[in-house]
Amino acid sequence: MNMSKTVLPPMSHEAAPALIRGSAAARPPKAAALGLLAVLVGLPFLMNQAFSYHLAIFICINAIIVMSLSLLARAGQISLCHGALVGVGAYVSVACVKGLQWPFLAGVAAAMLAAACVAYLLGRIVLRLQGVYFVLITFAFSELVRLVLLEWVGLTGGANGITNIPAASIAGFVFSDKPAFYALAALVMLAVLAFFWFFYASPAGEAVDAVGENPALAESSGIGVRRTQLYAFTLASAFAGLGGALLAHYLRYISPESFNMHYSVALIIMMVVGGRKFLLGGLIGALVMTPLPELFRGAVETQDIFYGVALILMLHFMPQGLASVRLHRKQRKTP
Amino acid sequence: MNRMLKVLLPAALMLPGAVLAQDTLKIGALVTLSGAGAAWGQALLYGAELAADDVNAQGGLEVGGKKYKIEVIPYDDKYQSAEAVTAANRLVSDDKVKYIIGPMGSAPALAVQPLTEREKIIIMTLGFTNKALSPEKPYSFRPNLTTEETSYPIIAWLVERFNLKKVGGLFPNDESGQQIAGDLGKAYKQAGAELSSKEFFERQRVDMVPLLTRMLSAGIDAIELDGNSPATAGMIVRQARELGFTGPIVRNGGPATPEIVAVAGKAATEGMMVTSLQDPDNKEVAQYAQRYAEKYNKKMNGFSPAFYDGTHMLFKAMQNAGTVTDTTKVRDALEQLKDYHGIQGVLNWSGKERYGINHQVASPFFISEVKDGQEVTVARCTLEKCVDIKK
Amino acid sequence: MSNLLVQALVNGVIIGLLYLLMAVGFTLVFGVMRIVNFAHGQFYMVGAFATYVLMAHWEWPFLAAMLGAFVVTAAVGWVVEWVVLKPFRHDELNGMIATIGVAMILQSAALLVFGPDSQIMPQVAEGVFRLGSAIVPASRLYVAVCSVIILACLYVFLIHTRQGKALRAAVQDMEIAMAQGVRAKFMYPLGFSIGVGLAAIAGALMAPLFSVSPFIGSTPLLKAFIVVILGGLGSIPGAALASLLLGIIESVASSFISNSVAEILIFVLVMAILVVRPAGLLGKAEA
Repeated sequence: MNMSKTVLPPMSHEAAPALIRGSAAARPPKAAALGLLAVLVGLPFLMNQAFSYHLAIFICINAIIVMSLSLLARAGQISLCHGALVGVGAYVSVACVKGLQWPFLAGVAAAMLAAACVAYLLGRIVLRLQGVYFVLITFAFSELVRLVLLEWVGLTGGANGITNIPAASIAGFVFSDKPAFYALAALVMLAVLAFFWFFYASPAGEAVDAVGENPALAESSGIGVRRTQLYAFTLASAFAGLGGALLAHYLRYISPESFNMHYSVALIIMMVVGGRKFLLGGLIGALVMTPLPELFRGAVETQDIFYGVALILMLHFMPQGLASVRLHRKQRKTP
Repeated sequence: MNRMLKVLLPAALMLPGAVLAQDTLKIGALVTLSGAGAAWGQALLYGAELAADDVNAQGGLEVGGKKYKIEVIPYDDKYQSAEAVTAANRLVSDDKVKYIIGPMGSAPALAVQPLTEREKIIIMTLGFTNKALSPEKPYSFRPNLTTEETSYPIIAWLVERFNLKKVGGLFPNDESGQQIAGDLGKAYKQAGAELSSKEFFERQRVDMVPLLTRMLSAGIDAIELDGNSPATAGMIVRQARELGFTGPIVRNGGPATPEIVAVAGKAATEGMMVTSLQDPDNKEVAQYAQRYAEKYNKKMNGFSPAFYDGTHMLFKAMQNAGTVTDTTKVRDALEQLKDYHGIQGVLNWSGKERYGINHQVASPFFISEVKDGQEVTVARCTLEKCVDIKK
Repeated sequence: MSNLLVQALVNGVIIGLLYLLMAVGFTLVFGVMRIVNFAHGQFYMVGAFATYVLMAHWEWPFLAAMLGAFVVTAAVGWVVEWVVLKPFRHDELNGMIATIGVAMILQSAALLVFGPDSQIMPQVAEGVFRLGSAIVPASRLYVAVCSVIILACLYVFLIHTRQGKALRAAVQDMEIAMAQGVRAKFMYPLGFSIGVGLAAIAGALMAPLFSVSPFIGSTPLLKAFIVVILGGLGSIPGAALASLLLGIIESVASSFISNSVAEILIFVLVMAILVVRPAGLLGKAEA
C-alpha cells in the first residue's frame, strides 16, 4: 500500500493506539495537570489588565476552534475551510440574536446547528475524496463561502460587515466587559476540553482515531471510514460554529474578511504547533500562537519572516507539536 | 516559562517609557502596514511622523506651559478587524495613548470605534464608509475627503462637459469599493446621468478584459476609474483602449496619474480627466512630497498631506485646549478650528448634513486633464460645485 | 450578441493558456512530490521580480531576462527543496504546511526589498490584432504564443530526455521508479525546481501584462488549485484541458453575467464536477 498517499505522517510502533475497543477508558487526569490548567486559566484575573483579558479571550476561542479542527485531523482529513465554518456560525448567531431578537444561547445553538448542517451536506458530497483532494476542495469551498458572504449584502451587510452586535447575555446577565466575557469564554473552553476528554475515550472517539491511523484496517474491522469522517467533520464544524458565535458577540463586529483563507491557515498552524494528536494540543497551539504576533508587533515588516522561519523550524524539530514534549505522555491515549 | 516571558517582556520595555512619561506624548498609528493596503497605511503613518518631526524639531509641542516630545507608535492591523481591535486594545491599555491616527480601512474603523469612543480616544480615520462619522461617535474625525464629498460637484461638471448619459465602472469587491460604487451611482443620478454598468472584482485581479468586454457591449459613454489602486486603474485604461474604447475616461478619487500613465502609456491616457486632492501648482505640497521622498525613499501617497495636516490640527487643538490629557477639551478645540491653514490649503470641518456631525474635513480639490502624461488643472472645486479655471 | 460571444471565447482561450502556464508547474510538483506547494504563487512572483530587476537595472532584453528568471528561481527552488522540504518527502501534510512557511518568507522578503507598490514594466508588444470581429491585444498574443512554445519544450523534455522520462516515471509511481534505478534523491529537487521554474516563467511572461508587486502571487495559486482540482492532480494533459475550460467558462460567464456571480458559479461548477468525477477530468483514480 502506498503510504505516501495518506495525509498524516506514518506513526511509529510505540504510538500506534489500541484498536481494541474499550481498552483505553478515560483515566482521571493527573492532579498536577489540573493544577497547571487552573493556574493558566486564573492568570488573566491575577493580572487584571484589559489587554491580557483580550488576548486570553482570543486564546480560549481559538483553542475551541483548533480542538475541533484536531478532531477532523485525527480522523485523517485536513480542512482548509474551517475558518469559513467559523464564519457561518458567527453570521448565523448574529442573524438570530440581532435580527430575530433571539436570546444569546438560542443564537449559539443555531450557530452550531447551522455550521454542522453545512458541514454535513458538504461532507456527504466531498468526503469520498481522500487526503490532498479533500484539502483542495475545502479550499474552494472556503473561497465560495467568502464570496457569498460578500455578495449577499442584504443578509450579511457585504464587505461593510455588521456592527452593533449585542453582547452575550445569559438569564439577564450581560457579558459586556472583558473580565465577564473571559469567564464565559474560559468556562466554555474548559467544557469543550472536558467533552473531548470523554469523547476520545468513548467508542466513537476510538473509531475516529482508528480511521485516522489506518483506514484500511479500520474499514475491514467494520468501522466505516466515510461514515466516521462525516461524523467527525460534522461534530468538528459544530464546535467551529460555537467559536464563531463567541467571536461575534465578543468583537461585536464581523465582516467576511475575518473568516478568509488566511484565518483557516492560521488555525492549521496552531493545530500543528500544538500537536494534533493530543488533547491539550489545541489549547497549547492557541496559547503559543495567539500572542505571538504581539511580540513581533514592533518589527512590523519582518514579523512574517520570523513567523515563517519559526514555523519551518517547528516542523523540522518538533513535528508532533509542542504537546509531545510538554506532556510527557501523560495525556496521550497510549496504554 | 513562555508565558512568564510574555508578561515580563512588555513590562520591561515599558519601564523607560514610564520614566519619560512626563515629557513624552504618545500618539498611536493604527494602520495597515502589510499586504496590499500598505501603501495607504504608510501614507498615514509617515504623515503623522513628519508632523511629529516638525514639532519635535522645535523642542517639542508646547501645551499648557510644558513641552512634550511626540512619539508615534505604529501598529499593523493587516486590514483585518480582529487585528485592529487587538492593536487598539494594546494602544489603549498598554501604551495608554489617547490619540490614534487611523484606522485606514472601513472595517477596522467600525470595529475599533466601540472601544475608542468608550475610552474617549480621539481618532483620525481614513475609513471611507459613511458609518464612520456620526453624532454617536463624538471622538471620531476624518481628515481626508471621500467620494461622498468630492463626487457630486465633480460629476456634475463632467456630465455637463461630456454630455454623459451612461457610465461604466469597475470596483474592487471590498467595503471601500462597494461604498464608492454606491456614492458614485447617486452622484451620477443627481447629475442626470447613470452609472449603468457596475462590475465588482476580487481586489488582486489584473485581467479586466472580460469585465470590460461586457461593459462595452452594454454601451457606455465613459469609464469611471474611482476606487481602484493606481496600478489597477492603469490596467483598466490600457485594456479598455486595447479593446477599442475611445470615449472619455474619468477618475474621481485619489491621485494616481503617474502610475496610470506608466502602465497605459501617453496615447491611451490623453484627455483623461482626474481629480486631484491637491493643486499640482501647490508649492507646499510639492515640498512635503520632497521631504517625504528624502526621509522614506518612497514616493508620497496622495492621502499623506491630509493626515499630515490632520495631525497638525490635532496638535493645534491640544495647544488651544491647554491640555493633552483631557480629550474632551481637545475634541472641542478641534471642532472649533476654523479656516485652518494646512499644506493642502484652507481647511474647515463640515459634514453635518450628511453625517449629523461636523467631523469631516472640507478641503479644496481640483479637476485636471491629462495632456501628454502630465496633469493640467482645469477646474477648482469646493463641496458645492466646480468652477472652470480661467487661464 | 454573437460578436460578444466571439470576443469572449477569444479572451477565454488566451487567458486559458496563461492559466495553463501558471498551473503546469504546480501539478508537476504535486505529481513528483505529493506536496501541495502553497508557495507556488510566490515563486511566480519571484520570477516576475527577477525579470523586472534584470530588465530595469541590468538592461537585459526581455527573453534573456525571462530565461535568467527561470534559472534563478529554479536554483532557489532547488535550495528550498533541499533545506526545507527534505524531511517531508513522505509527509504530505507537514510538507504542505512547510510550503506555507516558505510562502510567507518569500512574500515578506519581497515586501522588505521592493516595498508594496507595483512596479511597472515596459510592454513587449504594442498594438492589437483582429481576428474577425474579435480583438486580441498583441501583448497577450505574445504571451499566449510563448506559453505554447514553453509547453512544447516541456513536452520534449518529459518525453524525450532521460531526466524527463525519469521524472515521469517518478510521477507515475515513485517506488517502482526507484526499483528501476531512478534516483529519488535527485528526482525530488529536480521536480521541485522545474516546477517552480515554470511558475517563474509564467510570472516573467505576465509581468509586462499585469505589473509586478509582492502581492501578485495569490491569483496564480488560486488558479493553479482550481485547474489542478479540475484536471486531476499530477496530470499535465488534464491541466491543459482544465485551464482552457476554466479560461473559457470564466470569460464567457463574466461577459454575460455579473462578475461576482460568475465567480461564485465557477466554484460551484468546480465542486459539481468533482462530485461526478472525483479524480478530476483526467486524473488517475486514487485508491
